[in-house]
Amino acid sequence: MGQLLTRQLRSIRFVVAALSLALAGCRAAPSSNKGSNARELLVSVRTEPRNFTRLGAREEATDLVALLLHAGLVRINRTTDEVEPWLAESWSVSADERQFTIKLRPNLQFSDGHALTADDVVFSFEASYAVNDTMKVGGKPLAVKAVDEATVIVTFPQPFAPGMRLLDNLVILPRHKLESALKNGTLAKAWGVSTPPSDLVGAGPFVLASYQPGQRLVFDRNPRYWRRDARGEVLPYLDRLTLDVIPDENTQLLRMQSGETDATGSALPAESYASLKQGATAGKIRLYDLGAGLYPDMLWFNLKPGAFAGDPRASWIQRDELRQAISLAVDRKTFLDTVFLGAGVPMFGPVSPANKRWHWAGTPETPHDPERARQLLASIGITPSNPARFTIVTMKGRPSFERAVTVIRDELKKIGVTVDTAALEGNALIQEILVVRKYDAAYFNFSLSDTDPAMSPDFWTSAGSEHIWNPEQKTPAAPWEARIDELYRQQVGAVQDHERKRLFNEIQKIFVEHQPIVYFAAPRVFVASSMRVGNAAPSVVPPRLLWSPDTLTIAAPTEK
Amino acid sequence: MIGYISRRILFALVLVFAVSSASMVLARLAPGDYVTATLGAGARREQIDAERARLGLNRSFGAQYRDWLAGAVRFDFGRSMQYDRPVTDLIPESALNTGILAITALVVATLIGLPLGVVTGTRPNGVVPSAIRGVSLVLLSMPPLLTSLLLVFLAARSGWLPVGGMTSSGGGGLADVLRHMVVPVAALALPLAAMFERLQSQAMSETIGQPYVIATYGRGVPLSRVIWRDALKNALRPVASVYGLVVGTLLSGSFAVETVTAWPGIGQLMLGALRARDVYLVAGCAAAGSIFLALGTLLSDVALAWVDPRSTG
Repeated sequence: MGQLLTRQLRSIRFVVAALSLALAGCRAAPSSNKGSNARELLVSVRTEPRNFTRLGAREEATDLVALLLHAGLVRINRTTDEVEPWLAESWSVSADERQFTIKLRPNLQFSDGHALTADDVVFSFEASYAVNDTMKVGGKPLAVKAVDEATVIVTFPQPFAPGMRLLDNLVILPRHKLESALKNGTLAKAWGVSTPPSDLVGAGPFVLASYQPGQRLVFDRNPRYWRRDARGEVLPYLDRLTLDVIPDENTQLLRMQSGETDATGSALPAESYASLKQGATAGKIRLYDLGAGLYPDMLWFNLKPGAFAGDPRASWIQRDELRQAISLAVDRKTFLDTVFLGAGVPMFGPVSPANKRWHWAGTPETPHDPERARQLLASIGITPSNPARFTIVTMKGRPSFERAVTVIRDELKKIGVTVDTAALEGNALIQEILVVRKYDAAYFNFSLSDTDPAMSPDFWTSAGSEHIWNPEQKTPAAPWEARIDELYRQQVGAVQDHERKRLFNEIQKIFVEHQPIVYFAAPRVFVASSMRVGNAAPSVVPPRLLWSPDTLTIAAPTEK
Repeated sequence: MIGYISRRILFALVLVFAVSSASMVLARLAPGDYVTATLGAGARREQIDAERARLGLNRSFGAQYRDWLAGAVRFDFGRSMQYDRPVTDLIPESALNTGILAITALVVATLIGLPLGVVTGTRPNGVVPSAIRGVSLVLLSMPPLLTSLLLVFLAARSGWLPVGGMTSSGGGGLADVLRHMVVPVAALALPLAAMFERLQSQAMSETIGQPYVIATYGRGVPLSRVIWRDALKNALRPVASVYGLVVGTLLSGSFAVETVTAWPGIGQLMLGALRARDVYLVAGCAAAGSIFLALGTLLSDVALAWVDPRSTG
C-alpha cells in the first residue's frame, strides 16, 4: 500500500508541477491590453449607461457616454470653469442680453457623414423639451430659430445671467435619425441601450463600436470629428476608448494598480489613498490630488410641513435651533479625521471653498461648542428630563456615509441627544426621501449640475425638486425661504457679475442662519491614472479625468 | 427509474416557478423601483409618474404579476428596463458564462478533491495527508467571497493573471478566456475541492476496512485496483449525494465571485438588476439560477441512482 501511495503522491506532484508551469507561462504572456498597436485608453466604470442620448436619464455613466458620443454648442472647461465655443464658432448677444445669435462652425458633420446644421440645433431643443426640463428658464422654454444653415437665434424668456452656459446641457442630436421618434412620442425610449451601435450618430469625438451588456463599451474615434489641435492635428488622439464595467470598487482599483486599466470613471475613496500613494511612489500610477470636492455630503431634516403631525417631537424636530445645535456639537476636526481620514476641509455653509467663484468668503465658522448647543436645545424644550431622539437614514455600502452618521451619533450623545441610524440600500433611500417622505433626517450627497448657482434652481428655490429638505413647495413654507426665492430670482436675472455675487452671498448668509442642511466637511478628491495616460487635466467636476476625452493621449503599448 | 426521473423533473419545474415568482415578488415589493433608481433624488414627481406609466410600473402589483406569469409559462420573462431588451435575450449569454465557470470549477474541484480524499482516506498518518487535511480545513472555512478577494489580490500583486473580466479589451480567443478564468474558477473550486476531499476521505477510510475490500485484496488483486476500482465506487456515494447541493453552493458562490472578479455571468447580471430594481430581469436571473439548481439536483439524483440503485425507491 505504501508503494501505491508513493505513486499517487508522485502523480500529484506532477499535477502541481504542470500547474506551476502553466502559471509561469501565464506570467510570461502579456497580462492585458498590451500587444495591440491601437492607442487605446481603458477605463473602468461601476455602472452602465441608461441610454445613449442623455435625454431620458442623467447619471454619471450616461453623462460620460454622452460626452464621448455627442457634442454641444458650447462646452464648460472643467479646469477654468469658463464657457468655450464648441460646435458654435461664435455668438453675439442683444442689448437686453436675452437674444443670442449663434454661428456654427463650417462643414460640421455627424459621424455618419450627414451635415450638422442649424436645423439640427433647433431639433435638439425640441427633443430636450419633449423629454425633460433641463433647458427651461423660469419654467419656460427658450425660443429657437434657424436663420440659415449655420446660424441660430436663441431667445431666453427672461434675462438669464449664465446665458450661453445653459447650452452646455444640450447635446446636438441628428434630426434625420430621431425626428420620427419625436413625432411618435417615443423619444425618451429612442436610442436606448439596445440600439445597435451602427444606428447611433453623433458629433462627439467617438462612435460606439460595440456594447456587451454587463461587460464593456468600446468606442472608436469618430473620423468626422470637427476638432483639431493647435498644430492642426485631427482629434481625438486616441484610436479607441474602452469602458470596462467593473461594479466592485476594490476590483477597479486593483485592476488599475496591476496595469489592466488606465483609469477609473469615478473619484477614488479616501480609504484607497494609502495604497494608491504607494503605487504613485513606485512610479506605477499617477495620483492627482484635486483638492476639496465641490459637493460635500450633507445632513438635513424632513422640513415638510405636517410631516410630524401627531408626533410628540413635532415641537422641536423641525426647529432651526436643533440644526444649529447639531452644527455646534459636532467637532469638524474629529469628523474629518474619522470620515475622510483627514483628507478634506471643514464646511460651514452650502458652497464648498472649491467653488472659488461662488463661495461666500464671509461664511462664519461654526465653533465646536457643546455647551452652546445644550443651551440651544434647552431653548426648544430639549433637556435631560425631556431628551431628543431621532433617526438618520443614510445609504448602505458607502463607508464614508456610515462613518459620518456614527460620528454624528457619538457627538450628539455628548449633548444628550439620542440618534438612531438606519443604512438603507440606495434605491430604498431615494424612495424614502423622495416618495414616502416620512423620515426624520437623512445623510446623503447630491451633485448639482453646474458650479453656477443660477443653473440649479431646483436646489435653491422652494419649488425645486432638489430642494431636498422640503421639495416642490407650492408656496414658500417659511419667510426665509421666500426671501431666498426672491434673491435667487434677482440673482439669475442680474447682468453684472458683482451684483450676482452680492445677491448670492446674501442667499448663503440666510442659508447659514437657518441651516436647512448642515454641512461638516468636503472630502478631497483624488483621481488616478496609469503612467501611460498623457495630456490629462483632471477636474473636481465629473467625469474628472475624462471631461476632455479628445485631447487625452496614451503612450504606445509596450510588450512586457 | 423513469418514474423516479419524472418525479424529479416535476420537482424541478415547481422549483423554477417558485424561485422566479418569489424573486419577482420580493424585487417588486422592495422599496424604490427602476424609475427612482434611474432619475435619482432630484426628479420631479410628474416626471417620475410619466416614466412609471411608460414602463407599466404604475399598474397594480397583481396585474403586473399576472401578466408576467402569463408570459413566463411561454418562457417570455418580460423586457429588461435597464437594457431595453427581452430578458430571454440577456439570460443565455450570462447563463453560459456562469455555466462555464461553474462546470469548470466543479470539474477542477472533483479532479483535485477526490484523489486527495482517496490519499488522505487510505493513509491516515503521514506528513502529506496531514498537510492536505490542514489545507482543506482552512479552505473550507473560507467563503468564496473571501477566497476570491484573496486571489484577486494575489493576481494584482503578482501580475501573473488578469484581475477581472472575461476577456481583455481587443483580446478574446480561448487562451485569453482561460487566463481570465483562473482566478474565478480557483475561488469557486478550492473550497469545493476541500469539501470533496473531506467527504471522500471519510468515505474511503470507512470503505477500506470493509470485509469485501480486505477479502478482495487477500485474493491477490493489486492494491491499486482494490482502491481505485472496488473501494472507490462504493465510497463515491456521499460525494455523489451532495453534488446537487454543490450546484446550489456554486451558484450562490458564483454570485459573489462574479462580482469581485467582474465575470459577466448570471450573478453579476442579477446584482446589476437588483441594484437597478429591474424586476423582470431579477426574476429571469432567478429562474435561470433555479434551472441550474434543478438540473444539478437532477444530475446528482441520477448519479446517486447509478452508484446506489436503492436510492430510487
